[in-house]
Formats: sequence, C-alpha cells, structure tokens
Amino acid sequence: MSILIIADVKSRTINPSTLEMLSAAKKIAKNNTMPIYILIPFGNIGGDSYCSSEFKTFILDLNIEQYSAHVLVKYISSVIREVNASYIIGMHTPFSIDYIPALSVSINAQCITQIHSLDVAERITVTRGSHAGKLDRHIVINDTPIILTVLPGSFEPYTITDVQTQHITTIHIPEVNKHIYCNFITKDMKDTSLDEADVIVGAGKGIGSRENLNLIYEFAKVFPHSAVAGSRIVCDYGWLPYSKQIGITGKSIAPKVYIACAISGSSQHVAGIKGAKTIIAINKDPYAPIFNVSHYGVVADIFEFIPQFIDFVQNNA
Amino acid sequence: MENKFKILVCIKQVPDTNALVYLNDGIPEYDEKTVYVINRYDEYALEEALQLKDCGLTSYIHAVSVGPHRLQKALRRSLEMGVDEAFHIQSDDDRLHNPYVIAQAITQFAQQNYDIIFTGVMSEDTMNQQTGQLIAAMLGYKHATGVTELSLNNTTITITRELDAQESLMYELHIPCVISVQSSIHKPRYPSLSNVLRARKQEIAIIKQDLITSTGKTKSYFTMPQKTTQCQFIEGSISQKVTELYTILHKNAVL
Repeated sequence: MSILIIADVKSRTINPSTLEMLSAAKKIAKNNTMPIYILIPFGNIGGDSYCSSEFKTFILDLNIEQYSAHVLVKYISSVIREVNASYIIGMHTPFSIDYIPALSVSINAQCITQIHSLDVAERITVTRGSHAGKLDRHIVINDTPIILTVLPGSFEPYTITDVQTQHITTIHIPEVNKHIYCNFITKDMKDTSLDEADVIVGAGKGIGSRENLNLIYEFAKVFPHSAVAGSRIVCDYGWLPYSKQIGITGKSIAPKVYIACAISGSSQHVAGIKGAKTIIAINKDPYAPIFNVSHYGVVADIFEFIPQFIDFVQNNA
Repeated sequence: MENKFKILVCIKQVPDTNALVYLNDGIPEYDEKTVYVINRYDEYALEEALQLKDCGLTSYIHAVSVGPHRLQKALRRSLEMGVDEAFHIQSDDDRLHNPYVIAQAITQFAQQNYDIIFTGVMSEDTMNQQTGQLIAAMLGYKHATGVTELSLNNTTITITRELDAQESLMYELHIPCVISVQSSIHKPRYPSLSNVLRARKQEIAIIKQDLITSTGKTKSYFTMPQKTTQCQFIEGSISQKVTELYTILHKNAVL
C-alpha cells in the first residue's frame, strides 16, 4: 500500500499546485503509515526540487516535448505496480487530464475526477461536484487501487523543507518511445488587464446577449482600477475574447474584489477565482453554486440591480 | 487525399443547465419540467465531424448515445445536423452509469469499425472528463483531449490542445484515434430544413447490450454542495441591497 502523486505541468515546468496534491496525500497517509511517492513525468521540467527524505521521487527520462499520453500511461502503470500504489493522485488540469484517466484501463482501477475535498475516517471519502455543481457527490472508497484527480486550489500547498536529491530515481525510457515531437504554442498575452485590476467584473451566460455586455462594462467603469472578464460559455459565444476567460482552461485571477454577474459558478470557473480576496455574486437564482464560494451574495436580477447601483454611485460620489 | 474516414461521434443527453434538482431521500431527482438537450461540448464534437464531411473526407458519420428512451431526441437532433446514422444503446436508468460503464458500452459497439471517434471534452452535468480517454485505452487507440484545432493527413491527424489561456500543445496522432473536442473549435451549426426533413424519416437503430452498471468498488451519496465561504446574503429591497453593497465595496477600499 502506498500513494503515488503524478506531478502536473504548467508553462513547461512543474505546476506548483503539485504541492496541493502532497497535502491531500498526507491526509490519506494518516500517521505516515503509507509511503508517498512522487512521479515527475519529464526530466526537463525542474523536478529536482520535489524530493525529500519524506518521500521518494521518480523522474521519467523523457523531455516535455516528447509528450505522448500513450507512453506516459505505459511507464506510469509499471511504476504504480512497482510501488504497489493504492491511491494514484493527479491534478485536474487540461494537461494531466489528457492521460490520467487512461491509467484506469491499464491498472484496472476506477478513476474519480475533479475531487475538491476528502475525509479520512475508517474509510476514505472523496467529494466532487455533481449535477452541474448543484449537488455534491461523496464517494466512499471501498476498494483500491483508485485514481483521483484533484481540482486545483482545493488543498493548501504542502511545504517541502529538506530537499534531498539522493531520493530521486530516474526511470529509463527506451529511445523507441521518444520519437514524438510536440510543439508548445505560447500566445502573445499583451493584455495584462486582468492581472492589474483591483476589481474584476465577471459576466456569465445569464447576461443573455453580447449587447447586454455593455451593462457589465458600465458597471466595471464605476471602479477606478477594473476589468471585465467572463465564464467559458460567454467566450464560446464570442461575446468576449478567450483572453478574458476565467477558469481552469483560462486565467486564474487574484483581484481585491471579484464580482460574478449572472454566473452560475461551475467548478471549472470557480477554480480560477479562488485567489480573489473578496468574492461577490449577483444572481437571480438563490441556489446558484456561485454563492457557495462567495463572501457576499446579492439575489437579484442584474438588469434591475446594476443600473440602480450605477445611479447610486454617480449620485454619491 | 485518397482516404475517406469512418467517423463515430459519442453524444450524451443532459438536463438543461437551468434544470432544478432535488434530493428525494438522498437520491437526486430532476424537476419533472426538466428539458433535456445534447451536451453542449458534444455539439462541438458533432460539428467537427460535419466539417470533415463538408470537405468530402468522410465515408460516413455515425452518432451513438447510451441511456433511456428520451435521448432519442438528442440522436434525432444529430441526424438533423447532418449525421448519416444514429445508434441508441438502450439502458433504462442512466443515473447509475459511470464513465467506465459508458466507455465499455461504446467500445463494444464501436469495435474496430471507426477511424476517428469524437467526443466532447466533458459533459455539462457530471463533468467527469474521462469517457474519451477510456474508450481510447479500451480500444488501444491514440487519443487527445481539449482539442481546439485539427487537420487530417493521410494516416495521421495534427491536433492542437488547449492547456490554458496562454498555452497550447500541437502534435500528430496516428489514426485510428479518439478526439475529445473543446468548445473553442468551430461553432455548431443549426440544422438545415432539408436535413430536418430527411432526419424525420430516418430510423434510429436500437442496440441491446447488457451493461454492467456498477463496478462494486465504490458507494456514493449526495448532499447539497459544501460551502467554502459563509456567504453573507444582502437582504432587503433593491435599493437597500444597492446601499449595502456600496458600503461593503467602500470598506474593501475599491470605491
């Protein structure tokens, strides 16, 4: 019995959120009765600092440019068998979700994705959103091995105190599996408005049309350092460019205040707003999941509330 | 290009995102007025297959879905969009199905008969995001998820996967393969009148399979969502709410 963490990749280096999985693993390991292993899937992503006397680290002898879901599944499956892993933990990001569920076929284990919390009692229970975030589903794990993917931002990052490289083992990958060549395309992000704003006003599907976005722009204008952003669907509809998309597949934001307007609050969107100091939601549906992660909630129709708010500020400023 | 490709699109029928769900003795139940639609991401998968058809690159496009009778409406819609044939793998209760069960059913149906299998990147209701990867692993095919661009070569596909707002990853996959498309690809089409008329006359083939509905490894229960913050609801009339929110924002030093 052991726990294997599979490191995630962001911008061609280890995603620091990998440390969040360590916290989840520490919880599962109870009183450190179960050994923890970290698997770094590539040799050139700066994995050397993810090693310590507390756990063992494996690094696959592959370059990130040689990414292949197929090859990773093959070699990670054999590591899982070698360390007799009961819990295999990956990150729920577009990078890792590409191959981690495929492990479940090769090691014959169930995969539960997008978990946001876990409870350790006699048995381990993991929790994920369900029914488009309107409910939580709690899954009691009765049998292992099991594969879990963790929603970013759900656990506090663990601090590695004593980096010790002698605990690293490199796994040799035969040349025959290395011929693949991947091209990373980095978009030119000249638009830094979301990084610099004190207040970000987010628009959701509930705004109804591109024209109604004007109301959101007017609302944002009330605040001195503000920007407008949106949920994935608003960008899919072409109402906002993808550079303004907040969530797992878009940007993560950390303004002083985030105001979610007519956004239901899917887990994919919420993962991108956790850095905001204060979250305010305005939504006419009192059961919208966004209120579960907000500090302040206004149950109101944005088309009624926002114009009155703008008037109020203009008359009181 | 000489090759013409045999395409399968896997679709799921989901409750409209506005649907109300209740816990009845711990069991989730949707409101009886719930409208069911094609999963939004699967519409993008259908569109991608149809784009290939428009370029004359397909020998046929099939759509498949697993679940109760009501999902025939979703399959009908896929025919209206331009799919050649639709297949319904019957199963009375789709609430017990996990992605593994669905992937097994689709794998058994697909066998080795398709060159490219499309899925949406995830479903809007359960968001498991793993059916495509599982089908590929079960069939021994290559796969890619979160695909936002693709172009066909003779025996390979060049795909671009979206990683985040800033970065994408591009590489080649050998055919046969499974592609899970992300929504920033081509916008799904509205059915043309001629396709709607054609689809009306078409039969949806019924496939009977014994589905294994539980792997027996896990047991689950449902609750209302966990709150990560204690949301303070601003009460009162609209103008009271406006004043109160103004005060809060003022205290947060942003106004």
